[in-house]
Amino acid sequence: MKLIEVAKVIRSKNAGPTVLTLDLLFNDDAGFRHACESPSLKPEAIAKLYGQSVEKVEVLPYPPALAIKIVLPRRIVSGNPGDSDVYGAQQHGPMLGIEL
Amino acid sequence: MSSAIERLRAEVTTSSGLKPLRVMAASGQLGYGIPDPAFNAGLERKPHLIGADMGSIDPGPYYLGAGKMAQSETMVRVDLAKCLRGARSLNVPLLIGTAGSAGAAPHLAHTLEMVREIARNENLHFRLASILADIPRDEVKKAIRADRVVPLGQIAGLTEADVDRATHIVGQMGIEAFQRALAQGADVIIAGRACDSAVFASVPAMLGYPLGPTLHMSKIIECCSLCCTPGGRDTIIGTLEGDSFVIDSMNPTRHASPMSVAAHSLYEQADPYAVREPEGTLHTKDAHYEVVDEHRTRVSGSRWEPATQFTIKIEGAMRVGERAVLLCGSADPRVIANIKTITAGVEKTVRELTPPRTDKPYQIFWRVYGIDAVFPWDKPPEPLPREIFIMCECIADTAEEAKAVATVTKQYLLHHGFPGRLSTAGNTAFPFTPPEVMAATAYRFNVYHIMDVDALEPFFPVHVENV
Repeated sequence: MKLIEVAKVIRSKNAGPTVLTLDLLFNDDAGFRHACESPSLKPEAIAKLYGQSVEKVEVLPYPPALAIKIVLPRRIVSGNPGDSDVYGAQQHGPMLGIEL
Repeated sequence: MSSAIERLRAEVTTSSGLKPLRVMAASGQLGYGIPDPAFNAGLERKPHLIGADMGSIDPGPYYLGAGKMAQSETMVRVDLAKCLRGARSLNVPLLIGTAGSAGAAPHLAHTLEMVREIARNENLHFRLASILADIPRDEVKKAIRADRVVPLGQIAGLTEADVDRATHIVGQMGIEAFQRALAQGADVIIAGRACDSAVFASVPAMLGYPLGPTLHMSKIIECCSLCCTPGGRDTIIGTLEGDSFVIDSMNPTRHASPMSVAAHSLYEQADPYAVREPEGTLHTKDAHYEVVDEHRTRVSGSRWEPATQFTIKIEGAMRVGERAVLLCGSADPRVIANIKTITAGVEKTVRELTPPRTDKPYQIFWRVYGIDAVFPWDKPPEPLPREIFIMCECIADTAEEAKAVATVTKQYLLHHGFPGRLSTAGNTAFPFTPPEVMAATAYRFNVYHIMDVDALEPFFPVHVENV
Protein backbone atom coordinates (compact mmCIF):
# COMPACT_ATOMS: atom_id res chain seq x y z
CA MET A 1 0.00 0.00 0.00
CA LYS A 2 1.30 3.46 -0.86
CA LEU A 3 1.40 6.23 1.74
CA ILE A 4 -0.43 8.53 -0.67
CA GLU A 5 -3.41 6.10 -0.70
CA VAL A 6 -4.01 6.29 3.06
CA ALA A 7 -2.94 9.87 3.82
CA LYS A 8 -5.20 12.84 3.10
CA VAL A 9 -2.45 15.38 3.73
CA ILE A 10 1.29 15.05 3.07
CA ARG A 11 2.98 18.39 3.64
CA SER A 12 6.28 19.99 4.59
CA LYS A 13 7.06 23.32 6.25
CA ASN A 14 9.76 25.00 8.29
CA ALA A 15 9.49 25.06 12.06
CA GLY A 16 11.83 28.03 12.25
CA PRO A 17 14.67 28.55 9.75
CA THR A 18 16.73 25.53 10.81
CA VAL A 19 14.11 22.79 11.12
CA LEU A 20 11.94 21.04 8.53
CA THR A 21 8.77 19.24 9.54
CA LEU A 22 6.72 16.80 7.52
CA ASP A 23 3.09 16.24 8.53
CA LEU A 24 1.19 13.16 7.44
CA LEU A 25 -2.55 13.27 8.18
CA PHE A 26 -4.49 10.05 7.68
CA ASN A 27 -8.04 9.39 6.51
CA ASP A 28 -8.87 6.96 9.29
CA ASP A 29 -7.59 5.13 12.33
CA ALA A 30 -6.68 1.99 10.35
CA GLY A 31 -4.46 3.91 7.93
CA PHE A 32 -2.84 5.82 10.80
CA ARG A 33 -2.03 2.62 12.71
CA HIS A 34 -0.75 0.88 9.61
CA ALA A 35 1.57 3.83 8.90
CA CYS A 36 2.78 3.98 12.51
CA GLU A 37 3.97 0.41 12.24
CA SER A 38 5.52 0.62 8.78
CA PRO A 39 9.32 0.34 8.55
CA SER A 40 9.14 2.87 5.67
CA LEU A 41 8.29 5.62 8.15
CA LYS A 42 10.94 4.78 10.75
CA PRO A 43 13.71 7.34 11.28
CA GLU A 44 16.20 5.12 9.40
CA ALA A 45 14.11 5.14 6.23
CA ILE A 46 13.34 8.88 6.40
CA ALA A 47 16.99 9.73 7.07
CA LYS A 48 17.97 7.87 3.91
CA LEU A 49 15.33 9.63 1.79
CA TYR A 50 16.42 13.06 3.00
CA GLY A 51 20.17 12.49 3.21
CA GLN A 52 20.29 13.05 6.98
CA SER A 53 21.88 11.02 9.72
CA VAL A 54 19.35 8.90 11.58
CA GLU A 55 19.88 10.46 15.02
CA LYS A 56 18.72 13.81 13.64
CA VAL A 57 15.34 12.48 12.47
CA GLU A 58 12.35 12.25 14.82
CA VAL A 59 9.09 10.50 13.97
CA LEU A 60 6.27 11.51 16.31
CA PRO A 61 2.82 9.88 16.11
CA TYR A 62 0.09 12.38 17.07
CA PRO A 63 -3.12 10.38 17.68
CA PRO A 64 -5.46 13.38 18.37
CA ALA A 65 -5.25 14.29 14.67
CA LEU A 66 -4.47 10.80 13.30
CA ALA A 67 -1.18 12.29 12.22
CA ILE A 68 2.51 11.55 12.14
CA LYS A 69 4.98 14.40 12.42
CA ILE A 70 8.51 13.98 11.14
CA VAL A 71 11.13 16.47 12.28
CA LEU A 72 14.56 16.83 10.67
CA PRO A 73 17.16 19.54 10.12
CA ARG A 74 16.90 21.66 6.99
CA ARG A 75 19.73 20.97 4.55
CA ILE A 76 20.50 24.68 4.59
CA VAL A 77 19.28 27.47 6.86
CA SER A 78 16.19 29.09 5.33
CA GLY A 79 17.10 31.83 2.87
CA ASN A 80 20.86 31.23 2.98
CA PRO A 81 22.59 31.60 -0.40
CA GLY A 82 21.85 28.42 -2.33
CA ASP A 83 18.53 27.65 -0.63
CA SER A 84 15.78 26.41 -2.92
CA ASP A 85 12.73 26.57 -0.67
CA VAL A 86 12.60 29.40 1.91
CA TYR A 87 9.35 28.23 3.53
CA GLY A 88 10.19 24.54 3.16
CA ALA A 89 6.70 24.01 1.74
CA GLN A 90 7.80 21.79 -1.18
CA GLN A 91 10.09 19.28 0.48
CA HIS A 92 7.51 16.50 0.71
CA GLY A 93 8.25 15.04 -2.75
CA PRO A 94 10.19 11.96 -1.54
CA MET A 95 7.26 11.01 0.75
CA LEU A 96 4.95 10.58 -2.23
CA GLY A 97 6.71 7.45 -3.44
CA ILE A 98 6.71 5.69 -0.06
CA GLU A 99 5.34 2.16 0.01
CA LEU A 100 4.10 1.30 3.49
CA MET B 1 -11.18 57.62 32.96
CA SER B 2 -10.40 53.94 33.48
CA SER B 3 -7.91 52.08 31.29
CA ALA B 4 -8.92 49.47 28.73
CA ILE B 5 -7.77 46.58 30.92
CA GLU B 6 -9.61 47.97 33.98
CA ARG B 7 -12.80 48.30 31.96
CA LEU B 8 -12.46 44.67 30.84
CA ARG B 9 -11.77 43.50 34.38
CA ALA B 10 -14.92 45.20 35.63
CA GLU B 11 -16.93 43.71 32.78
CA VAL B 12 -15.89 40.07 33.15
CA THR B 13 -15.51 39.77 36.92
CA THR B 14 -18.53 38.41 38.84
CA SER B 15 -18.91 37.05 42.37
CA SER B 16 -19.06 33.52 40.92
CA GLY B 17 -15.94 33.82 38.74
CA LEU B 18 -14.98 35.15 35.34
CA LYS B 19 -17.51 35.49 32.52
CA PRO B 20 -16.69 33.97 29.10
CA LEU B 21 -14.07 36.08 27.30
CA ARG B 22 -14.27 36.50 23.53
CA VAL B 23 -10.92 36.96 21.80
CA MET B 24 -11.05 37.96 18.15
CA ALA B 25 -8.14 37.20 15.82
CA ALA B 26 -8.63 39.60 12.94
CA SER B 27 -5.80 38.45 10.71
CA GLY B 28 -3.16 35.74 10.67
CA GLN B 29 -0.83 38.13 8.94
CA LEU B 30 -1.88 41.73 8.77
CA GLY B 31 -1.28 43.41 5.44
CA TYR B 32 -2.49 40.69 3.07
CA GLY B 33 -6.15 41.75 3.17
CA ILE B 34 -8.80 40.92 5.77
CA PRO B 35 -12.04 39.54 4.27
CA ASP B 36 -14.88 41.89 5.35
CA PRO B 37 -17.77 39.47 5.93
CA ALA B 38 -15.98 37.43 8.63
CA PHE B 39 -14.32 40.51 10.14
CA ASN B 40 -17.67 42.30 10.45
CA ALA B 41 -19.36 39.17 11.80
CA GLY B 42 -16.61 39.06 14.42
CA LEU B 43 -17.27 42.66 15.48
CA GLU B 44 -20.98 41.87 15.85
CA ARG B 45 -20.09 39.28 18.51
CA LYS B 46 -18.67 42.13 20.60
CA PRO B 47 -15.23 40.63 21.28
CA HIS B 48 -13.41 41.75 24.43
CA LEU B 49 -10.22 42.31 22.47
CA ILE B 50 -8.95 42.23 18.92
CA GLY B 51 -5.53 40.92 18.01
CA ALA B 52 -3.55 40.45 14.82
CA ASP B 53 -0.17 39.07 14.05
CA MET B 54 1.81 41.05 11.49
CA GLY B 55 5.00 39.09 10.96
CA SER B 56 7.09 36.00 11.22
CA ILE B 57 10.58 34.68 10.59
CA ASP B 58 9.15 32.35 7.91
CA PRO B 59 9.57 34.67 4.89
CA GLY B 60 13.34 34.52 5.24
CA PRO B 61 16.16 36.84 6.27
CA TYR B 62 15.64 39.75 3.85
CA TYR B 63 12.98 41.67 5.78
CA LEU B 64 14.78 41.57 9.10
CA GLY B 65 18.12 42.28 7.46
CA ALA B 66 16.91 45.19 5.33
CA GLY B 67 14.45 46.65 7.86
CA LYS B 68 11.68 46.46 5.26
CA MET B 69 8.13 45.10 5.20
CA ALA B 70 7.15 42.04 3.20
CA GLN B 71 3.62 43.37 2.72
CA SER B 72 2.68 46.22 0.43
CA GLU B 73 2.30 49.50 2.30
CA THR B 74 -1.08 50.13 0.67
CA MET B 75 -2.51 46.86 1.97
CA VAL B 76 -1.04 47.36 5.44
CA ARG B 77 -2.77 50.75 5.66
CA VAL B 78 -6.10 49.21 4.64
CA ASP B 79 -5.82 46.39 7.22
CA LEU B 80 -4.54 48.63 10.01
CA ALA B 81 -7.37 51.11 9.44
CA LYS B 82 -9.95 48.29 9.51
CA CYS B 83 -8.62 46.95 12.82
CA LEU B 84 -8.28 50.41 14.39
CA ARG B 85 -11.83 51.42 13.42
CA GLY B 86 -13.21 48.09 14.66
CA ALA B 87 -11.45 48.19 18.02
CA ARG B 88 -12.26 51.86 18.66
CA SER B 89 -15.93 51.36 17.71
CA LEU B 90 -16.18 48.74 20.48
CA ASN B 91 -13.73 50.54 22.79
CA VAL B 92 -11.70 47.35 23.30
CA PRO B 93 -7.94 46.82 23.17
CA LEU B 94 -6.23 46.19 19.84
CA LEU B 95 -2.94 44.29 19.98
CA ILE B 96 -0.64 43.84 17.01
CA GLY B 97 2.51 41.73 17.17
CA THR B 98 5.70 41.66 15.10
CA ALA B 99 5.04 45.00 13.45
CA GLY B 100 6.16 45.45 9.86
CA SER B 101 7.00 41.77 9.13
CA ALA B 102 10.13 41.34 11.24
CA GLY B 103 9.54 43.56 14.29
CA ALA B 104 12.84 45.50 14.41
CA ALA B 105 13.03 49.24 15.13
CA PRO B 106 12.52 50.41 11.50
CA HIS B 107 9.52 48.08 11.09
CA LEU B 108 8.01 49.33 14.33
CA ALA B 109 8.62 53.00 13.46
CA HIS B 110 7.08 52.55 10.02
CA THR B 111 3.99 50.81 11.42
CA LEU B 112 3.54 53.46 14.15
CA GLU B 113 3.74 56.21 11.53
CA MET B 114 0.89 54.58 9.64
CA VAL B 115 -1.17 54.11 12.82
CA ARG B 116 -0.78 57.79 13.77
CA GLU B 117 -1.67 58.92 10.26
CA ILE B 118 -4.80 56.71 10.16
CA ALA B 119 -5.83 58.04 13.59
CA ARG B 120 -5.44 61.64 12.36
CA ASN B 121 -7.34 61.02 9.13
CA GLU B 122 -10.18 59.14 10.82
CA ASN B 123 -10.34 61.29 13.95
CA LEU B 124 -9.64 58.33 16.26
CA HIS B 125 -8.23 58.99 19.73
CA PHE B 126 -6.59 56.42 21.99
CA ARG B 127 -3.58 55.59 24.11
CA LEU B 128 -1.01 54.05 21.83
CA ALA B 129 1.72 51.84 23.27
CA SER B 130 4.72 50.65 21.31
CA ILE B 131 7.14 47.97 22.48
CA LEU B 132 10.65 47.76 21.10
CA ALA B 133 12.13 44.29 20.55
CA ASP B 134 15.65 45.20 19.44
CA ILE B 135 18.14 43.51 21.73
CA PRO B 136 21.18 45.73 22.46
CA ARG B 137 24.36 44.25 20.94
CA ASP B 138 26.24 44.71 24.22
CA GLU B 139 23.68 42.58 26.07
CA VAL B 140 24.00 39.77 23.52
CA LYS B 141 27.80 39.94 23.72
CA LYS B 142 27.66 39.83 27.51
CA ALA B 143 25.44 36.78 27.30
CA ILE B 144 27.85 35.11 24.83
CA ARG B 145 30.75 35.71 27.23
CA ALA B 146 28.69 34.27 30.11
CA ASP B 147 27.91 31.19 28.00
CA ARG B 148 24.18 31.97 28.07
CA VAL B 149 23.47 31.74 24.32
CA VAL B 150 22.78 28.46 22.50
CA PRO B 151 21.94 27.81 18.82
CA LEU B 152 18.42 26.80 17.84
CA GLY B 153 18.99 23.87 15.51
CA GLN B 154 21.73 23.52 12.93
CA ILE B 155 23.21 27.01 13.04
CA ALA B 156 26.69 27.96 14.20
CA GLY B 157 27.37 29.06 17.76
CA LEU B 158 27.03 32.82 18.13
CA THR B 159 30.17 34.97 18.12
CA GLU B 160 30.62 38.64 19.01
CA ALA B 161 31.56 39.23 15.35
CA ASP B 162 28.16 37.81 14.30
CA VAL B 163 26.50 40.26 16.66
CA ASP B 164 28.31 43.16 14.96
CA ARG B 165 27.58 41.88 11.46
CA ALA B 166 23.82 41.51 11.95
CA THR B 167 22.02 44.62 10.69
CA HIS B 168 19.24 44.10 13.26
CA ILE B 169 18.89 41.74 16.22
CA VAL B 170 15.43 41.25 17.69
CA GLY B 171 14.13 39.17 20.57
CA GLN B 172 10.71 37.55 20.75
CA MET B 173 8.69 39.11 23.53
CA GLY B 174 6.03 37.18 25.43
CA ILE B 175 2.91 38.14 27.38
CA GLU B 176 4.94 40.03 30.01
CA ALA B 177 5.76 42.92 27.68
CA PHE B 178 2.16 43.32 26.45
CA GLN B 179 0.93 43.30 30.04
CA ARG B 180 3.22 46.19 31.00
CA ALA B 181 1.76 48.17 28.10
CA LEU B 182 -1.79 47.31 29.22
CA ALA B 183 -0.95 48.33 32.79
CA GLN B 184 0.08 51.73 31.43
CA GLY B 185 -3.40 52.20 30.02
CA ALA B 186 -2.83 51.18 26.41
CA ASP B 187 -5.83 50.92 24.10
CA VAL B 188 -3.72 49.99 21.10
CA ILE B 189 -0.43 48.11 21.32
CA ILE B 190 1.98 47.89 18.41
CA ALA B 191 4.75 45.49 19.35
CA GLY B 192 8.07 44.69 17.75
CA ARG B 193 9.05 41.03 17.38
CA ALA B 194 6.63 39.06 19.53
CA CYS B 195 5.40 35.52 20.08
CA ASP B 196 2.21 35.29 18.08
CA SER B 197 0.43 33.66 21.02
CA ALA B 198 1.31 36.57 23.34
CA VAL B 199 -0.75 38.94 21.18
CA PHE B 200 -3.91 37.05 22.17
CA ALA B 201 -2.93 35.60 25.55
CA SER B 202 -1.70 38.70 27.38
CA VAL B 203 -5.14 40.19 28.13
CA PRO B 204 -6.83 36.98 29.36
CA ALA B 205 -3.72 36.05 31.38
CA MET B 206 -3.81 39.47 33.04
CA LEU B 207 -7.51 39.08 33.85
CA GLY B 208 -6.87 35.74 35.55
CA TYR B 209 -8.06 33.21 32.95
CA PRO B 210 -6.19 29.91 33.35
CA LEU B 211 -2.91 29.96 31.44
CA GLY B 212 -3.11 26.47 29.87
CA PRO B 213 -6.32 27.06 27.90
CA THR B 214 -5.39 30.73 27.34
CA LEU B 215 -2.07 29.95 25.66
CA HIS B 216 -3.44 26.95 23.77
CA MET B 217 -6.35 28.98 22.39
CA SER B 218 -3.99 31.81 21.44
CA LYS B 219 -1.68 29.43 19.60
CA ILE B 220 -4.63 28.16 17.58
CA ILE B 221 -6.37 31.42 16.72
CA GLU B 222 -3.21 33.31 15.76
CA CYS B 223 -3.52 31.76 12.28
CA CYS B 224 -7.24 32.70 12.18
CA SER B 225 -9.38 30.13 10.34
CA LEU B 226 -6.45 27.98 9.24
CA CYS B 227 -7.46 25.47 11.96
CA CYS B 228 -10.79 24.83 10.17
CA THR B 229 -11.94 22.65 7.28
CA PRO B 230 -11.58 24.07 4.72
CA GLY B 231 -8.83 26.26 6.17
CA GLY B 232 -8.74 29.94 5.37
CA ARG B 233 -7.65 33.39 6.43
CA ASP B 234 -10.97 34.61 7.84
CA THR B 235 -11.37 36.21 11.24
CA ILE B 236 -11.97 33.76 14.09
CA ILE B 237 -13.15 34.05 17.71
CA GLY B 238 -11.87 31.98 20.59
CA THR B 239 -13.99 32.07 23.72
CA LEU B 240 -12.46 31.25 27.08
CA GLU B 241 -14.97 29.64 29.45
CA GLY B 242 -13.82 28.22 32.75
CA ASP B 243 -11.14 25.62 32.07
CA SER B 244 -11.85 25.28 28.37
CA PHE B 245 -12.23 27.32 25.21
CA VAL B 246 -14.36 27.21 22.08
CA ILE B 247 -13.09 27.84 18.53
CA ASP B 248 -15.59 29.54 16.21
CA SER B 249 -14.72 30.77 12.70
CA MET B 250 -16.56 33.91 11.61
CA ASN B 251 -16.83 32.44 8.12
CA PRO B 252 -19.84 30.07 8.33
CA THR B 253 -18.34 27.74 5.70
CA ARG B 254 -15.12 27.09 7.64
CA HIS B 255 -15.82 24.52 10.34
CA ALA B 256 -13.63 23.88 13.37
CA SER B 257 -13.80 20.12 14.04
CA PRO B 258 -11.97 18.31 16.85
CA MET B 259 -9.73 16.78 14.17
CA SER B 260 -8.98 20.02 12.33
CA VAL B 261 -8.26 21.93 15.55
CA ALA B 262 -6.04 19.15 16.93
CA ALA B 263 -4.23 18.96 13.60
CA HIS B 264 -3.41 22.65 13.81
CA SER B 265 -1.04 21.89 16.70
CA LEU B 266 1.21 20.28 14.10
CA TYR B 267 1.46 23.37 11.94
CA GLU B 268 4.96 24.87 11.78
CA GLN B 269 5.78 23.28 15.15
CA ALA B 270 8.59 20.82 15.83
CA ASP B 271 6.73 19.35 18.81
CA PRO B 272 2.92 19.06 18.63
CA TYR B 273 2.63 18.56 22.39
CA ALA B 274 4.83 21.39 23.71
CA VAL B 275 5.12 25.06 22.79
CA ARG B 276 7.94 26.97 24.42
CA GLU B 277 7.33 30.62 25.30
CA PRO B 278 9.63 33.08 27.10
CA GLU B 279 7.75 32.62 30.39
CA GLY B 280 7.10 28.89 30.25
CA THR B 281 5.89 25.95 28.20
CA LEU B 282 2.41 25.01 27.00
CA HIS B 283 1.71 21.27 27.20
CA THR B 284 -1.15 19.89 25.12
CA LYS B 285 -0.54 16.17 25.67
CA ASP B 286 -3.73 15.84 27.74
CA ALA B 287 -5.81 18.22 25.65
CA HIS B 288 -9.31 17.01 24.83
CA TYR B 289 -11.11 18.13 21.67
CA GLU B 290 -14.89 17.80 21.52
CA VAL B 291 -17.70 18.78 19.18
CA VAL B 292 -19.91 21.70 20.24
CA ASP B 293 -21.86 21.64 16.98
CA GLU B 294 -20.95 21.13 13.33
CA HIS B 295 -19.18 24.50 13.24
CA ARG B 296 -17.44 24.74 16.63
CA THR B 297 -15.04 22.75 18.79
CA ARG B 298 -14.33 22.90 22.52
CA VAL B 299 -10.83 22.23 23.86
CA SER B 300 -9.88 21.49 27.46
CA GLY B 301 -7.05 19.91 29.42
CA SER B 302 -4.04 21.96 28.23
CA ARG B 303 -1.52 22.76 30.90
CA TRP B 304 0.95 25.61 31.45
CA GLU B 305 4.31 25.05 33.10
CA PRO B 306 6.08 28.23 34.22
CA ALA B 307 9.75 28.49 33.23
CA THR B 308 12.47 28.14 35.84
CA GLN B 309 14.74 30.17 33.58
CA PHE B 310 13.53 33.08 31.42
CA THR B 311 14.71 32.80 27.82
CA ILE B 312 14.52 35.03 24.78
CA LYS B 313 14.67 33.70 21.24
CA ILE B 314 16.90 36.10 19.33
CA GLU B 315 16.99 36.57 15.57
CA GLY B 316 19.39 38.50 13.37
CA ALA B 317 20.30 38.75 9.71
CA MET B 318 23.46 39.98 8.02
CA ARG B 319 24.15 41.24 4.49
CA VAL B 320 25.72 38.69 2.18
CA GLY B 321 25.94 40.73 -1.03
CA GLU B 322 23.92 42.01 -3.98
CA ARG B 323 21.84 39.58 -5.98
CA ALA B 324 21.22 39.37 -9.74
CA VAL B 325 19.22 36.61 -11.40
CA LEU B 326 19.05 35.45 -14.99
CA LEU B 327 15.71 33.95 -16.04
CA CYS B 328 15.20 31.78 -19.11
CA GLY B 329 13.80 28.49 -20.35
CA SER B 330 14.49 25.78 -22.88
CA ALA B 331 12.32 23.47 -24.96
CA ASP B 332 15.15 21.70 -26.76
CA PRO B 333 15.45 18.00 -25.82
CA ARG B 334 19.24 17.97 -26.22
CA VAL B 335 19.74 21.12 -24.17
CA ILE B 336 17.53 19.54 -21.50
CA ALA B 337 19.41 16.23 -21.58
CA ASN B 338 22.77 18.00 -21.31
CA ILE B 339 21.80 20.88 -19.02
CA LYS B 340 24.18 19.97 -16.17
CA THR B 341 27.27 19.89 -18.39
CA ILE B 342 26.09 22.99 -20.27
CA THR B 343 25.70 25.06 -17.11
CA ALA B 344 29.03 23.79 -15.73
CA GLY B 345 30.75 24.74 -19.00
CA VAL B 346 29.11 28.17 -19.10
CA GLU B 347 30.04 28.85 -15.49
CA LYS B 348 33.68 27.98 -16.19
CA THR B 349 33.78 30.46 -19.08
CA VAL B 350 32.01 33.15 -17.06
CA ARG B 351 34.43 32.77 -14.16
CA GLU B 352 37.37 33.15 -16.56
CA LEU B 353 35.89 36.24 -18.21
CA THR B 354 34.77 37.96 -15.00
CA PRO B 355 37.45 37.42 -12.36
CA PRO B 356 36.39 38.47 -8.85
CA ARG B 357 36.89 42.20 -8.33
CA THR B 358 37.11 42.17 -4.55
CA ASP B 359 38.43 39.87 -1.85
CA LYS B 360 34.83 38.61 -1.45
CA PRO B 361 34.43 36.28 -4.44
CA TYR B 362 30.97 36.14 -6.02
CA GLN B 363 28.79 33.02 -5.81
CA ILE B 364 26.83 31.43 -8.67
CA PHE B 365 23.81 29.16 -8.08
CA TRP B 366 22.00 27.34 -10.90
CA ARG B 367 18.47 26.08 -10.50
CA VAL B 368 16.97 24.01 -13.28
CA TYR B 369 13.22 23.74 -12.73
CA GLY B 370 11.84 20.53 -14.18
CA ILE B 371 14.93 18.59 -13.09
CA ASP B 372 15.99 19.24 -9.48
CA ALA B 373 15.64 22.94 -8.55
CA VAL B 374 13.21 22.47 -5.66
CA PHE B 375 14.47 19.19 -4.23
CA PRO B 376 17.93 17.68 -4.76
CA TRP B 377 16.73 14.44 -6.36
CA ASP B 378 19.47 11.90 -6.81
CA LYS B 379 18.64 11.32 -10.47
CA PRO B 380 16.81 13.20 -13.24
CA PRO B 381 13.17 12.35 -14.01
CA GLU B 382 12.36 9.75 -16.63
CA PRO B 383 11.27 10.71 -19.16
CA LEU B 384 12.87 14.16 -19.12
CA PRO B 385 10.42 17.08 -19.16
CA ARG B 386 9.43 18.75 -22.43
CA GLU B 387 10.54 22.15 -21.12
CA ILE B 388 12.75 23.40 -18.31
CA PHE B 389 13.13 26.73 -16.57
CA ILE B 390 16.66 27.87 -15.80
CA MET B 391 17.52 30.40 -13.15
CA CYS B 392 21.09 31.48 -12.62
CA GLU B 393 21.65 33.51 -9.49
CA CYS B 394 24.74 35.54 -8.74
CA ILE B 395 25.50 37.07 -5.33
CA ALA B 396 28.42 39.49 -5.49
CA ASP B 397 29.86 42.22 -3.30
CA THR B 398 28.50 44.97 -5.57
CA ALA B 399 25.39 45.20 -7.71
CA GLU B 400 27.51 46.03 -10.74
CA GLU B 401 29.57 42.88 -10.37
CA ALA B 402 26.45 40.70 -9.90
CA LYS B 403 24.92 42.26 -13.00
CA ALA B 404 28.11 41.72 -15.01
CA VAL B 405 28.21 38.03 -14.10
CA ALA B 406 24.50 37.50 -14.88
CA THR B 407 24.79 39.34 -18.19
CA VAL B 408 27.87 37.47 -19.38
CA THR B 409 26.18 34.22 -18.29
CA LYS B 410 23.18 35.08 -20.44
CA GLN B 411 25.22 35.43 -23.60
CA TYR B 412 27.35 32.33 -23.09
CA LEU B 413 24.39 30.17 -22.05
CA LEU B 414 22.53 31.23 -25.19
CA HIS B 415 25.44 30.30 -27.45
CA HIS B 416 27.17 27.47 -25.60
CA GLY B 417 28.18 24.72 -28.03
CA PHE B 418 27.98 21.06 -27.09
CA PRO B 419 28.17 17.73 -28.98
CA GLY B 420 24.99 16.90 -30.87
CA ARG B 421 23.55 20.42 -30.56
CA LEU B 422 20.52 20.99 -32.82
CA SER B 423 19.47 24.54 -32.03
CA THR B 424 22.66 26.32 -33.00
CA ALA B 425 20.98 29.74 -33.04
CA GLY B 426 20.39 29.71 -29.28
CA ASN B 427 19.95 27.29 -26.35
CA THR B 428 17.46 29.34 -24.34
CA ALA B 429 14.22 31.30 -24.57
CA PHE B 430 14.00 34.64 -22.74
CA PRO B 431 10.45 35.59 -21.78
CA PHE B 432 11.43 39.28 -21.75
CA THR B 433 14.51 41.47 -21.85
CA PRO B 434 16.53 42.37 -19.96
CA PRO B 435 16.43 38.76 -18.74
CA GLU B 436 18.88 39.54 -15.95
CA VAL B 437 17.13 41.15 -13.01
CA MET B 438 18.57 42.86 -9.95
CA ALA B 439 16.97 41.17 -6.93
CA ALA B 440 17.99 43.49 -4.10
CA THR B 441 20.47 42.82 -1.31
CA ALA B 442 20.93 39.24 -0.15
CA TYR B 443 20.89 38.53 3.59
CA ARG B 444 21.22 35.42 5.67
CA PHE B 445 20.21 34.56 9.22
CA ASN B 446 23.31 34.57 11.37
CA VAL B 447 21.47 34.85 14.69
CA TYR B 448 18.82 32.27 15.58
CA HIS B 449 19.59 31.43 19.15
CA ILE B 450 18.14 31.19 22.64
CA MET B 451 19.49 33.57 25.25
CA ASP B 452 19.02 33.01 28.99
CA VAL B 453 18.12 36.20 30.86
CA ASP B 454 17.43 37.07 34.50
CA ALA B 455 14.46 39.28 33.68
CA LEU B 456 12.47 39.93 30.51
CA GLU B 457 11.35 43.48 31.25
CA PRO B 458 14.59 45.38 30.46
CA PHE B 459 14.70 43.98 26.93
CA PHE B 460 11.29 45.17 25.80
CA PRO B 461 10.79 48.84 26.71
CA VAL B 462 7.24 50.21 26.45
CA HIS B 463 6.51 53.73 25.22
CA VAL B 464 3.02 55.20 25.58
CA GLU B 465 1.57 58.25 23.81
CA ASN B 466 -1.88 59.77 23.34
CA VAL B 467 -3.08 60.05 19.76
